[in-house]
Amino acid sequence: MDFISNQVVELSRFQFALTALYHFMFVPLTLGLTFMLAAMETVYVVTGRRIYRDMAQFWGKLFGINFAIGVATGLTMEFEFGTNWSMYSHFFGDMFGTPLAIEGLMAFFMESTFVGLMFFGWDRLSKQAHLAITYLVALGSNLSALWILIANAGMNVPEGAHFDADTMRMQFDSFVSVVFSPESQSKFVHTSVAGYVAASMFVMGISAFYLLRGQHRELAVRSFRMAAIFGIISSVAVITLGDVLGRMDYERQPTKIAAIEGIWHTTKPPFEPWIIAALPDDEKQVNHFEIGIPYVLTPLITHSFNQPVLGMHELEDQAGPRIRSGIIALTALRHYGETHDKADLDLFNAHQDDMGFGFLATRHAPNQDVTTIPAEQLDTVVKQTQPDILPNVFVVFWSFRFMVFLGTYFFALFAIASLLSLKNRLEANRWLLKAAMWSIPLPILATEFGWITAEAGRQPWTVFNKLPTFLSASNHSTGYMIFSLAGFALLYSVFIAAELYLMFRFARLGPDEHGAHATPEHLFSAIQGGNA
Amino acid sequence: MKLLRLAGLALALVIALLFAVFVGDQGPWYFAWVVGTVMIVLISGAGTILLDAQEENISQKENTP
Repeated sequence: MDFISNQVVELSRFQFALTALYHFMFVPLTLGLTFMLAAMETVYVVTGRRIYRDMAQFWGKLFGINFAIGVATGLTMEFEFGTNWSMYSHFFGDMFGTPLAIEGLMAFFMESTFVGLMFFGWDRLSKQAHLAITYLVALGSNLSALWILIANAGMNVPEGAHFDADTMRMQFDSFVSVVFSPESQSKFVHTSVAGYVAASMFVMGISAFYLLRGQHRELAVRSFRMAAIFGIISSVAVITLGDVLGRMDYERQPTKIAAIEGIWHTTKPPFEPWIIAALPDDEKQVNHFEIGIPYVLTPLITHSFNQPVLGMHELEDQAGPRIRSGIIALTALRHYGETHDKADLDLFNAHQDDMGFGFLATRHAPNQDVTTIPAEQLDTVVKQTQPDILPNVFVVFWSFRFMVFLGTYFFALFAIASLLSLKNRLEANRWLLKAAMWSIPLPILATEFGWITAEAGRQPWTVFNKLPTFLSASNHSTGYMIFSLAGFALLYSVFIAAELYLMFRFARLGPDEHGAHATPEHLFSAIQGGNA
Repeated sequence: MKLLRLAGLALALVIALLFAVFVGDQGPWYFAWVVGTVMIVLISGAGTILLDAQEENISQKENTP
């Protein structure tokens, strides 16, 4: 009998993925739009021209709608760790809870406090003081993301912690090494700058809508110019930082990078092609067809021309000894729990790096207990466990490609938009304005694909190489999971509908009706259904 | 008052330098994010100011007989 049914684990995963993906529809816009507002207000303070204040106020209102609904969708997720992932919370809570608490206390409070001042302080604060507040809102929203991503980086590459055999959980060794780990840094920077791209497309697309309709030209051309330049620099940065993340995965999460690139057999540098499209078959462990560019993969992944990239078959082979070692670790740990004998602890410590692989084998062990596997069954259990180390290759392979294709498209669009804006030839190129307008949701989609690549690529682990996902969930009933999943889906769909309705409404009304003289009271009365 | 302002600016400079040295050493990508974000904000702001100058230039040319 399972200790936690697979159905409950899958439903818990699906529920978390659903809430995270919903929440992440709002986050990128908040991260980027705050710094765009800061840029608009900086120009207002430097030049003293009223139009830039109107811009900051108009886009600030759209930011306000997104911020309010984004916060609401994020709150539930923190509780989900406790309700649906209690085993994970016990095992990794020391590591994961600390950044999350800091996020709540420092960044979230800072952000929320200053948002109020930003909205209501236009006529109550000096120009410079209000500008400082806007920068603090931008910093606060990005610091929120920083702590979440530090926590997430710990799940992908657990650094600065060790497993304690007495408390049976991961415990902090060094807070500094958690905060400054290469994984934390590169994840934060890549995600934050992806938010800049999303915000740039949002501002550029709505500005294009006004230019196509011949409305609010003074605001639209300036917003378009600013967004196009903001977007092109951010696009270059996000591509560069994505490369850094890829390099991290190559060094620390080889199964993820092999799945991302659809590499079943270790590569032979330097010829190996970078696969543009393929149909990975997880069952048969092959790609059914491949279209690739020769000589690109090796320098792209390894930053060299002679280093191979390990294939998934070879990674499975390498996992065999680790699974055996993990079984020894768990057996020693059980004995240590019963006897507190130092010899058992020493044996466990010698094998503790592979403990997670031992957990992974529990699925295939008789009675799901790796400590009592008969010697004649050990080889079978190890062999059955080996394929489990791989994520779903099809999902990871294609989500990564969608993200990359979209990122390349954004770079091209922002480059053309910047060029034509600098030449004052926007209205003459209506195709560009239409492309910009219809591209508004695409960066959000790209960040979602990025998130799927990172998190599906981490599987089968919640804490990479330490704790498998199937051992991390809470022991709920299937009915409870279906009920709460339906509730979340319904509630979050209402949030999305409200966001879209308010965004469309305020974007269509534009800055004249709700611009220079509008107050936050207009926004709130409109949200409540009043006549703004 | 001037001296106080100068001292304040000097303090801000020292803090900025210490920040750059520490974060640049311990967290190069965090440092790159700080510098990069400031750069993106300033360059995009400069782009719109350039638009103001371009429009003024056009209207001056149109008004010149």
